[in-house]
Amino acid sequence: MTVHAATRLVAKDIKPKIGARVLNTKAELLSGELAAALRELLEQRGVLVFPKIDFTDDEQVAFTRTLGAYAAETPDGSVSKITLDLKENPAAAEYLKGSLFWHIDGTMNGVPILASMLSCKVPSPKGTGNTGFCNTYAAWADLPAERKADLEQLRVMHGVWPTLFFYEPEPSLAKLKGMQAIGEKELPLVWKHQSGRKSLVLGCTAHRVLDVDAMQSAQIIHGLREWATSEPFSYSHEWSVGDCVMWDNTGTMHRAEAYDPMCGRMMHRTKLEGEEPFA
Amino acid sequence: MTLATAARLHFEVIKPKIGARILNSREELLSGALCDEINALLEERCVLVFPRVDFSDEDQVRFTNLLGGNALEIRGEEVFKVSLDKAVNQQVAEYLLGSLYWHIDGTMNPVPIRASMLTAKVLAPEGGDTLFANTATSYDDLPDAVKAKLEGYRVQHSLWASALYHTPEPSDAQLDDWQSRGEAELPLVSVHKSGRKSLVLGNTAALVIGVDYRKSAQLLHKLRNFATSDPYMYRHVWTLGDTVMWDNRTSLHRATPYDPDCGRMMHRTILKGYEAWEA
Repeated sequence: MTVHAATRLVAKDIKPKIGARVLNTKAELLSGELAAALRELLEQRGVLVFPKIDFTDDEQVAFTRTLGAYAAETPDGSVSKITLDLKENPAAAEYLKGSLFWHIDGTMNGVPILASMLSCKVPSPKGTGNTGFCNTYAAWADLPAERKADLEQLRVMHGVWPTLFFYEPEPSLAKLKGMQAIGEKELPLVWKHQSGRKSLVLGCTAHRVLDVDAMQSAQIIHGLREWATSEPFSYSHEWSVGDCVMWDNTGTMHRAEAYDPMCGRMMHRTKLEGEEPFA
Repeated sequence: MTLATAARLHFEVIKPKIGARILNSREELLSGALCDEINALLEERCVLVFPRVDFSDEDQVRFTNLLGGNALEIRGEEVFKVSLDKAVNQQVAEYLLGSLYWHIDGTMNPVPIRASMLTAKVLAPEGGDTLFANTATSYDDLPDAVKAKLEGYRVQHSLWASALYHTPEPSDAQLDDWQSRGEAELPLVSVHKSGRKSLVLGNTAALVIGVDYRKSAQLLHKLRNFATSDPYMYRHVWTLGDTVMWDNRTSLHRATPYDPDCGRMMHRTILKGYEAWEA
């Protein structure tokens, strides 16, 4: 008689307020048996690191599918290639310049994606091209009560076009109009999740806080970003080949740290469909 | 018997809509005899180049004052050392990053300086050109319908908005510092006592008042792109000892990027202004 031992999640916290390293084997991850526990851990820790797990593209897609609804980004549903190299990615290189600043993916969509997963195929030279994450649940939770009361009901206009000014402050009219045509979206500053938890909705798409003057709006947006990305709530992942990192897009901001666009850095990405709207 | 021949102004036009090169000797310039003509030419041509005139600091201050200078530089000195080198200008290195974008000096003051003069002391091995754009001739060339539309528009200018060009993710402390310098509301089209009109634009121009902020961004970036387009723009590639002077009320200027540690050094003097942006 064979006794089948249930697979258990093996994970270690990275910092008290953000991140966990998952130490299970690839086979255990691909079995799907850990999916519920991983989803729970993802929400609690914001970022999960699978050190040198060496997923192939097919394995990354399969693993992503164990965790929720797969959000295909390519015509064949395979991974999307994230690089600033113009040869690999002529259309996206421009768009990805915005990725060097703190942001949440999908602030233009009613239901933002739940999570993203990056596998490192070619890292940039050490000291460049880390990916930074910060925990916007924990950053909200640690604000003083009176500050929370001031912020809780505020609404913020988000757009893609404001991100243009982060890397190209003197755009052509055509480019400006093109990005303005993508539209804008009014979002709450504080997201009240269905779980009852709350997180800050910030990032480079946040253009202005409604119903306050421009100076105060800038103070709120930049002040909260500085707070949320400060040391206790943030984690900078230095990539090794084969690392896979997954983050909860609904409770974090992320950014790429600067690197030489021609260094060949290559990440393969998969995504999980969102499950709840900003509210 | 010796006949003293009065020095005459020798110059050549650089481009039809901007710039002149003055070819008189240093001695002739410092004699003071040409000052009225030089002042008139400055207003007409916007930018005056004195190729390899090799002014010492003393010469430059004297020439500035002969032209009606009488202004002390931002730190109370007669000559200001313009450098991105932190060792030279610890406080101002960040501030000078703003000089890499099109701007007008003194939009935070009701009475801007009339003109500035730069002398090249150390050149950047790469980059560090200075670009000038004529906001009077470019205004003149706008279609009448556009001129009529711009009449009466007022623009919110702020240093803090310009600082976001080079530091889009400021700390709380940085933003506080920038915002403490205040804001100013200026006409989009300045009408000079002479009757000339010029555009008031640049990186401090944050918002056209009373216009939807998306349209406002389109208008400000469109006008800047027009005013800085080739017919109205002069790019000065520096030779050691060059002095260049520009009419600050009818121009935008900027430096092209250069290595902050390369030692590039310009010595600047300024000419006090007597005319406000608006009567």
